[in-house]
Amino acid sequence: MNYPVDYKYTRSHEWLRDDGDVAIVGISDYAQDALGDVVFVNLPAVGDTVIAGESFGDVESVKAVSDLISPVTGVVCQVNTALEDAPESLNEDPYGAWIIQVEDVTDCEDLMNAEDYQAFCEQEG
Amino acid sequence: MSELKRTSLYPAHLAAGASLVDFGGWEMPVQYPTGIVAEHLYDRRKCGIFDVSHMGRLLVEGPDRLAFLQKVLSGNAAALVPGRAQYCMIPTETGGAVDDAYLYMYEPENYMLIVNAANTEKDLAHFARYLPDYDCRITNITDSYSSIAVQGPEAEAILKELSGAETITGPKKNDLGQITIQGKPVRVSKTGYTGDPIGYEVFIDAKDAVWLWNLLIDRGARPTGLGARDTLRLEAGLPLYGHELGTAPDGTEIPIFAVSLARFAVSFAPEKGDFVGRAALETQRTGTEKKIVPITLTDRGVLRGGMEVLQNGQAVGWVTSGTMVPYWVLDEQGQPTEATGRRSIGFAYVDSRLGPGDAVQVNVRGKLLRGELVKRHMRQDLPPYGRAELLK
Repeated sequence: MNYPVDYKYTRSHEWLRDDGDVAIVGISDYAQDALGDVVFVNLPAVGDTVIAGESFGDVESVKAVSDLISPVTGVVCQVNTALEDAPESLNEDPYGAWIIQVEDVTDCEDLMNAEDYQAFCEQEG
Repeated sequence: MSELKRTSLYPAHLAAGASLVDFGGWEMPVQYPTGIVAEHLYDRRKCGIFDVSHMGRLLVEGPDRLAFLQKVLSGNAAALVPGRAQYCMIPTETGGAVDDAYLYMYEPENYMLIVNAANTEKDLAHFARYLPDYDCRITNITDSYSSIAVQGPEAEAILKELSGAETITGPKKNDLGQITIQGKPVRVSKTGYTGDPIGYEVFIDAKDAVWLWNLLIDRGARPTGLGARDTLRLEAGLPLYGHELGTAPDGTEIPIFAVSLARFAVSFAPEKGDFVGRAALETQRTGTEKKIVPITLTDRGVLRGGMEVLQNGQAVGWVTSGTMVPYWVLDEQGQPTEATGRRSIGFAYVDSRLGPGDAVQVNVRGKLLRGELVKRHMRQDLPPYGRAELLK
């Protein structure tokens, strides 16, 4: 399992990368592994407001659907629409296949660094 | 919670890195590291093997065995001859399903009935109500034998190569046979739960299960878990107890005749006499209020069991099973290419006035998405491949 150090992580297994003006959000390697084959991603639209700790979309595997929880409050400025046709990118490259980019960030959840997140995942089993 | 049971193939699942889940009280592989999508596609193109040793195997013996089976099963067991199997239901008195089952006649002197793992104890309790009237006994032999489903275009070639046999079974679905692999007897049936035009299930002594499993893998078969088993059966249009049989999302009993397979599973042959649920089934035969129909989502999204189905804003039923399923894209001649696609398909339990070709809406977590009822999701009549049938 891969836990890159330049990302921060939520307890619901999203990652956040601070890219200066925007916050980039995706799901972790642990999340994609637990989900299994991702077959559909329900994305928000550019301009939507997302709220820290609340759902902004969902990912579906063959077996189940899981909410995507936003680590930040802000406005969606970019959506990775390539995931509509290639949701499997979330399995193949979880840290490259970002889901949304958020600007005007006003609030942020308590996030874990890579070391703490790895410990958290290992505890979850 | 009691401890989970394990099949004799458990060490092979561990060695292969399977994700294991509780399935009807058994610790079973839901998928292997390649994942459900790859397993589904490999089965349709090459050969998938499935551990189905958890399914309940019941030996039915005694002078009244036929009379007993005629009483508690929906099929005409008298029509079964040695070397054949038949699909049947275990009806309730009211014409619903206690379970669905497969009845095998390998030998003239007994029958083997295979039932769903999670229902085995319930089925035995149900049978116990009728057994006292018959000189017949039922033995649960689930643990003595293992069972592996060998499914897909290469299944027959692999079993022939391993056994050196010229034929594995007769040519027809539900034909039975016996082959020998390295001196060990292996019982075979031309049956399966994938809809693959070529597919077998093999029965072997539990202690030899891992050995045979590994031989099959050496010949190119790949382990396939319960996840792909579900997507394959859904694409093939085969019902699953607890979804298309048993109890509907509103808590009512699903009549057996709501499922199209009922016409193969239920017999009113005179020699069958009266049987459990007969009166209710005779009424159902003339039509049920709702029926189970394959459904495809035309909008982007994923169907799931329990979702409401509507037509023109009116509720007409529910999705009973649904997910996203991969398929091999076909060329103009109908041959599979190297390209794959995916689609969301399932079954719906809807008002019987609706049928294939009808547009419906599905409430996908608050959003109404467009869907269509269809005749089938896959063609099974052109061996060796099961071919996806897509909406035009």
